[in-house]
Amino acid sequence: MDVIVEDITQVWPGRGGADVVALDRFSHCFASHRFSCLLGPSGCGKSTLVQIVGGLERASSGSVRIADPALPGVTHPVGADSVMVWQNLNLFPWRSVLDNVAFGLEMQGVAKAERHDRAKALIASVGLSGFEGHLPGQLSGGMRQRVALARALILERPIMLMDEPFGALDAQTKIVMQEELLRVFDQTHKTILFVTHAIEEAILLGDEVIVMTARPGRIKEVLKVDLPRPRSLEMVNSKAFGALFDRAFHLIREEVMTSMIQQTMALETR
Amino acid sequence: MKRGKTTFSGMIERAAPALVIVAVLAIWELFVRLRGIAPIYLPPPSTIAVYLFRMLADGTIEFNLGVTLLRIFAGFAVAAIAGVTLGVLMGMSRIVARIADPWIAALYPLPKIALIPLLVIWLGTGEVYKIVISAITAFFPIVISTYAGIRQTDQGLVKAAQDLGANRRQIQMKIVIPAAIPSIFSGLHLGMGVTVILVVAAEMIGSSSQSGMGFLLIQSGQVMETEKVFASLIVLAVVGALIIKLQEWIDRKVAPWTAYRDGH
Repeated sequence: MDVIVEDITQVWPGRGGADVVALDRFSHCFASHRFSCLLGPSGCGKSTLVQIVGGLERASSGSVRIADPALPGVTHPVGADSVMVWQNLNLFPWRSVLDNVAFGLEMQGVAKAERHDRAKALIASVGLSGFEGHLPGQLSGGMRQRVALARALILERPIMLMDEPFGALDAQTKIVMQEELLRVFDQTHKTILFVTHAIEEAILLGDEVIVMTARPGRIKEVLKVDLPRPRSLEMVNSKAFGALFDRAFHLIREEVMTSMIQQTMALETR
Repeated sequence: MKRGKTTFSGMIERAAPALVIVAVLAIWELFVRLRGIAPIYLPPPSTIAVYLFRMLADGTIEFNLGVTLLRIFAGFAVAAIAGVTLGVLMGMSRIVARIADPWIAALYPLPKIALIPLLVIWLGTGEVYKIVISAITAFFPIVISTYAGIRQTDQGLVKAAQDLGANRRQIQMKIVIPAAIPSIFSGLHLGMGVTVILVVAAEMIGSSSQSGMGFLLIQSGQVMETEKVFASLIVLAVVGALIIKLQEWIDRKVAPWTAYRDGH
């Protein structure tokens, strides 16, 4: 599924009539089977963008089209082909691991035995066998992350939207989860929109890295990542990786500086 | 000294509460006997214990406590069903919330005991009066906590459910109501507390049915059987503590996830 974003602008009504422009005429085609990383400073509207693509926010103006590249004329309803993995996971704390993972199927009315079988298989594939009956609160951060991933994967939707999913994890767990996600991508080749503010993560995972400007969020530059797949963590040490990192670092540095100046000014005028 | 259980200081720490209780009772007993204080004012603990066993043996406690408990649970059940239902409706429908809000705002701060004269005029002094007064009192904390719980649902969970394909009704049944359960339970705790108070108070004031722990207390007090007053108070305190323990146990059974603060 292609995600064609055209001229998306998002304006939040601010205090005292001063509106905040979160996204400014953002246009990009997130092509099928491609892993796209959105990289930018805090507040650049990257989370807002994935929520708009997922049909969970309404943009002030602009359009999102979801279309199969083989049938470009047929537009799918926004949100129906995508599933979100959230930064704070949003697991349902009163549901067991099994019932969290099976939630999407339950909403579709899939019979209990079938949805439990499918959920169990998926739980096993993310390495959580034996924890089906646990509550999310009983698990470690990395395990909860796997539950969130399995809950999203069970619907088998072609587009996966990931909003800084590994932001809260410790360094070691993050590496393991990145490898897990790469494995999932290599097996399923979903269209992935992955929001992050970690340069290394964006390059390691993505086919392209969309560097965004500070508020209002626009595309600053799109970096193509030509590292071969399957990716592995050792590639971080390669020359090509280093060059991409330097380029992205340079771009993002300018924006972080701009963003910091904006924040300082906002504090002073308050 | 992490393994405090086996050390001497650990043993003292564990035994201290019980030792203090025994010491207080002993001082009380000695004080009353040595100073020759009349049992009408302050009976010694040993005499209270004798009366307590006598009242248990002849069934006085069992009968009156049973009657009081029945009234408590009847009043509480009415309040719980009505309060949770209205609270959920208020949380789900803005119109219901708007209509109910001024009534709750006006009636909640009113001390419900002040309604007793009116209720006695309307309902007499029978069982209905006692159940109604306790149910009215318990209703307010239950409805307010339920409404707050429904309204404070984590919007992240609602969005996540929506993203996973839940429709409006599924979001309400599968997300909003379960998310409100801890808040509903804290309302039920508060409601149970005031139900106990109001039933015992109603049994003391203008009750025509000559039964219940409140009646036993008033009757014993009026004839200056201070031993029976103390015995009844002990029974009420123990039963109150048991009700709280029972509620905590039900909480853990029904809502085990609340034990983990960072649930999601």
